[in-house]
Amino acid sequence: MADNKAFDPYETWKSFTNNWEKQANDMIHLWTNSREYVNFSQGASDLQIRFQEMFQKNQQLMAEHLQLLTKNDLVNAAKLSIQTEEKLDALEEQIWDVQDSIESSKKEFRSLIEVSHDTNKQIKQLKKEQQRNKKELEKIDEIHFELLALKSELAEMNTLKEEVVSLRALLEENNSNKERELALLSK
Amino acid sequence: MAIETENSNDLSAFNFEKEIERWTEFTNAIMGPELSANHTPRKPIWKKNKATLWHYAPVEKKYEIPIFMIYSLFNTPSILDFAPGSSVIEGLVNNGYDVYLLDWGIARHEDKDINIEDYISDYIQKGVKRTLRHSKADEVSLIGYCLGGTFAAMYAAIAEEPIRNLIVATVPIDFSVSALPDKWEEALKGDGFNVDRLIELYGVIPPSYVESMFRSVTSPIYNSPYVTLLARANDKRFVEKWKRMNKWNSGHVPLTGGAFRQLTIDLFKENKLVKGEFTIHGQKVDLGKIKENLLVVSSKNDTLIPEGQSLPLMDLVSSKDKTYLRVEAGHVSLAMTGKLNGILNDWLGEHSS
Repeated sequence: MADNKAFDPYETWKSFTNNWEKQANDMIHLWTNSREYVNFSQGASDLQIRFQEMFQKNQQLMAEHLQLLTKNDLVNAAKLSIQTEEKLDALEEQIWDVQDSIESSKKEFRSLIEVSHDTNKQIKQLKKEQQRNKKELEKIDEIHFELLALKSELAEMNTLKEEVVSLRALLEENNSNKERELALLSK
Repeated sequence: MAIETENSNDLSAFNFEKEIERWTEFTNAIMGPELSANHTPRKPIWKKNKATLWHYAPVEKKYEIPIFMIYSLFNTPSILDFAPGSSVIEGLVNNGYDVYLLDWGIARHEDKDINIEDYISDYIQKGVKRTLRHSKADEVSLIGYCLGGTFAAMYAAIAEEPIRNLIVATVPIDFSVSALPDKWEEALKGDGFNVDRLIELYGVIPPSYVESMFRSVTSPIYNSPYVTLLARANDKRFVEKWKRMNKWNSGHVPLTGGAFRQLTIDLFKENKLVKGEFTIHGQKVDLGKIKENLLVVSSKNDTLIPEGQSLPLMDLVSSKDKTYLRVEAGHVSLAMTGKLNGILNDWLGEHSS
């Protein structure tokens, strides 16, 4: 397929400029990359600084004589507002800390309430258990009394038994006496 | 039936109306109103000094672990929410993540003493605490891009907060490797460059200075984007993308003197982070204490952060689950083209449940 793209002088110019600019910049870096250039630019920079320092000093003196505000005066005023802002920031952060501690206290309080709820429940349950135990104890007492009664009855029965045994012994003795008497009589 | 010849095609390329439209679009793109950035819906949940912690609510919440994003100090984080359809944040939100972005804002002269240690302990650490509180989550995933990745790694090494995953993209860790020409590096690491005097003079390093610093390293002559725009000015989608990119590219922000001092002396000159000598308010930053799941993403065509600056992190951490990815992209295009999106969705999905 034939290339029908029209000739664009701007594209050609662009491509030429790009190449030229790259080469020129490389060349500048190459030329300036020397001790001499560095020394020259340091000297030029020193000279410029010296002039500007002189100019600033004169300006300061003039402002003082004319009782005009200088840049430094404005700086001092601005610094005060910055300091105030910083203090407000610090206060805000302290408020955060207070909020956080209130929040954590609330949480602790909530957990304490939950614990006390649990304790109340446990106390109620214990009370119920106590009442139940009391009833059981009463029943046990009743049983105990019944057992005592049974015991005394048994004791009575035991004495009765002993009496029966002694009666029996007496009876046997009587019988043997009678038999002996009968035997004597029969002789 | 119309018959088109090769000649008629050639003539249409020089169509007068088309040329007027091209130049009008070109002029509008450069001189016209800027496009709005940060299109994904968000709400500020915390402001500190110039910084804001933004919350991007998920479309449909799927993951309990929120994402905390940290971007570099040199530019605005709008590159993470670049354009509808190619935004890292939009992608994460659509996939069911709560996203929190710490936007450093624009430092002013009163912020000149803020250093890296302050950024980590007063902004990142507090931001993460607020993220955990706001999201009511038990853990957080950290994503750091460029210098934001360095900060994320530093923070992860000292964090008391529960961090599940650490993701760093195009991150400078080992500063013994550099993209600078060697004589510049030698001079900057030597005693010739007086950082303190410069910081004393400016207080905060102006955005123009930051821009020229990066421009001198990556591309001192920078005309090709404008020629590309002119060549493709009839493509409305490209023009829109170009405008967004151009806005972000020229949107460098001032850098505080304190951070600049630590960057140049502690990190660039003395490489304290890798040596384990960097401290945050007296607390030693030992990268070996990082035990979180780790993902390191490097870009093959990154002219600012060479792979050698990111790779050593893999050996410095104690994480058992660690992944290193080398992607065909540039320093910025990794986030801009949505490539990072796909990587994050795959890796984070597995590590967030």
